[in-house]
Amino acid sequence: MQRAAIVAALGGTAALVGALLFVSSDVKAAGHRLAHPEEKVAAPSAAVADHAEAPYCTPQFKEVLRRVVDACGLVGETDRRGCAPVDVKSFASISDADFLALFTPLEKRGAILMFDDAQDALDDGARTILKDTWEDRRGAQFFFTVARASKPGGQALNKALSQKRANSVMFLLQEQSKEPDLDKKVGLLWLGSEYAQLPQDYCGTWQNSRKDKKCNAEAINRSAFVSWVDCRL
Amino acid sequence: MTRPEVGGSPASMKARTVWPGALGVGASGLGLFFSAFSTHDYALHLDRQLHGTHCSFVPGLVDASGGDNGCTAAMYSAFSAVLRAKYWGGVPISLFAVGAYAAFIGLALYVLIGRHTASVRFMRGYAMATVFPLIASIVMFVIALTQLGAFCKLCVGLYFSSGVLFASGVLAFMQSSVGATKPAPAPAPRPVDPETTVRDPDPWGAVAEANPPAPPVTMEARAKGPGFAPKGSAITPLAVLATVGVAAALPALVWVASLPKYDAALLACGTLQVVTDKAHSLVKISTTSPVQPAITFEDPLCPTCRAFHQRLEAEGLLDQLDYTLSLFPLDNECNWMLDRPLHPGACIVSRALICADEQGKGRMFLDWAYQEQEDLAAAGKSGPAPLKAKIEARFPGLAACSDDKKTKQRLDKQLQFAVDNKIKVSTPQMFLGDRRLCDEDTDLGLRFAFAKLAPKVK
Repeated sequence: MQRAAIVAALGGTAALVGALLFVSSDVKAAGHRLAHPEEKVAAPSAAVADHAEAPYCTPQFKEVLRRVVDACGLVGETDRRGCAPVDVKSFASISDADFLALFTPLEKRGAILMFDDAQDALDDGARTILKDTWEDRRGAQFFFTVARASKPGGQALNKALSQKRANSVMFLLQEQSKEPDLDKKVGLLWLGSEYAQLPQDYCGTWQNSRKDKKCNAEAINRSAFVSWVDCRL
Repeated sequence: MTRPEVGGSPASMKARTVWPGALGVGASGLGLFFSAFSTHDYALHLDRQLHGTHCSFVPGLVDASGGDNGCTAAMYSAFSAVLRAKYWGGVPISLFAVGAYAAFIGLALYVLIGRHTASVRFMRGYAMATVFPLIASIVMFVIALTQLGAFCKLCVGLYFSSGVLFASGVLAFMQSSVGATKPAPAPAPRPVDPETTVRDPDPWGAVAEANPPAPPVTMEARAKGPGFAPKGSAITPLAVLATVGVAAALPALVWVASLPKYDAALLACGTLQVVTDKAHSLVKISTTSPVQPAITFEDPLCPTCRAFHQRLEAEGLLDQLDYTLSLFPLDNECNWMLDRPLHPGACIVSRALICADEQGKGRMFLDWAYQEQEDLAAAGKSGPAPLKAKIEARFPGLAACSDDKKTKQRLDKQLQFAVDNKIKVSTPQMFLGDRRLCDEDTDLGLRFAFAKLAPKVK
């Protein structure tokens, strides 16, 4: 009886002690791996949620966009908002045609708000189309407003008029969206009559706020084009 | 003179067989083998990484496999461990089996080797002890059948082991009385010899001739032959049960004592940068007793989201959340952050969920979408029409609403919320308050992480 008991006790104890050592070493090994993450198998890192990046975001387009964004205070801590034409001139060292071509890809994304001669007030059509365009943000980061004035009238007058038109857009956006960080999303450019004028074919290719009215080269430049820009910076 | 109390009636002189002990040793060894593998798989996950599981009837011969299998499902379920809120991952049930089967190896060895001399009460105590693994197996079997809908092969191995062990217990019980000591029968009355006197009760030696003295019982004889099993002490069965109980608890104590510290790791997964939903676009999911604000980023067609959602429900955590859902469909139809659809149709289902929310049916729709996820995902792969038809059949009007411009814009705003927070393009993600619940803590460590990050949740 004693021999059987001793053998059984030894067998049971050996099994139990072995099990305890096994458990202890397994848990401690996991603790070691936890404390030394460099020994982990490297997992592919997930991308971080970001704004949209459309195919038209070419390096050249991004360069202009970056300059506008930087110069117009959309990023960083500066209080500035909007860019005077002189700012544009300082960086837009490309031809008028090339400058305009940069924005061609936005023709399906944006719209042209048209103004009466020498006026800066948005009519109902313009308000509606601005609201629709603004709400169709999707993944875009910046909203561009490029206001213009047509050739008639003096340069100073047109420059001031262009700025007022840009501001009209901004004020309406502030009123409608009530977003506190609007300044960080909306970039304003006001171009005087000395800058590249939009060609008349913009009447047909861009959505404009006066579809039922006559559109010509002069009318299309009494305007502000608005669009979300699907590029990351 | 009486004979010593070591004999037995002719019936009780049958020998105990090797079967109870042999079966017990075999079943215990098998049980230890399966429970050790199960514990090993569990312990691997204590480093908070993803590992495969040895889900096989011959686990030592087959490599651990990743992905879904019955063992992974069982391991990640709320039933695989106890004290999960106190220790990261809790204390796995399999640990108790490891200790218990180790003890049973010793007990069964004694039943095998000392079968002729083991006391009746020891044999019966052993038989009683074998009931407990069987009960545990039955409980886990029912849980697997009714709650998990999957059987883990290692668990099946344990069910089998406990069944065989119980059989050995039954045999041990049946043989417990075999060879047991009984009072010797009273000597037969003998004729009175008229020549006997007080001084010489057997003057002719007739009595001595009729009743020769029993030969001395040696230890060797006791070990070899039947018929020498003592009844045993009354506390023997309790001692057997206590041995199994203590042995079952010991691995759990060693486990707890060896666990690493997790507190710092829990806090290392970042915070939400923008907690406020300024655009009022997020979906509020109704719960019964919300005590903890939580924002989740989920895709209704993401299987991991479904598993996480169901785990929260099974753990009783979901209904304690003040639950805000930011939809993050992994489908490039609406999500500009992807160049291909990981879950085709997820945008449609997400927009339908937004519509359901506007009707006050957000929770109902979400539960349904997760429940029907496989069908919805299959429909989504077939194209928008079959998917919309499925939604429309269950929630009339939602399919049309999901195409509405305003619905699309609301989903865009939810995706913008993700961008504002610079979250990873991955689902699910949960923020308790503003603190991100690490992906590594969404399964085994879920209860523990909640206890630390959301102590109001019970």
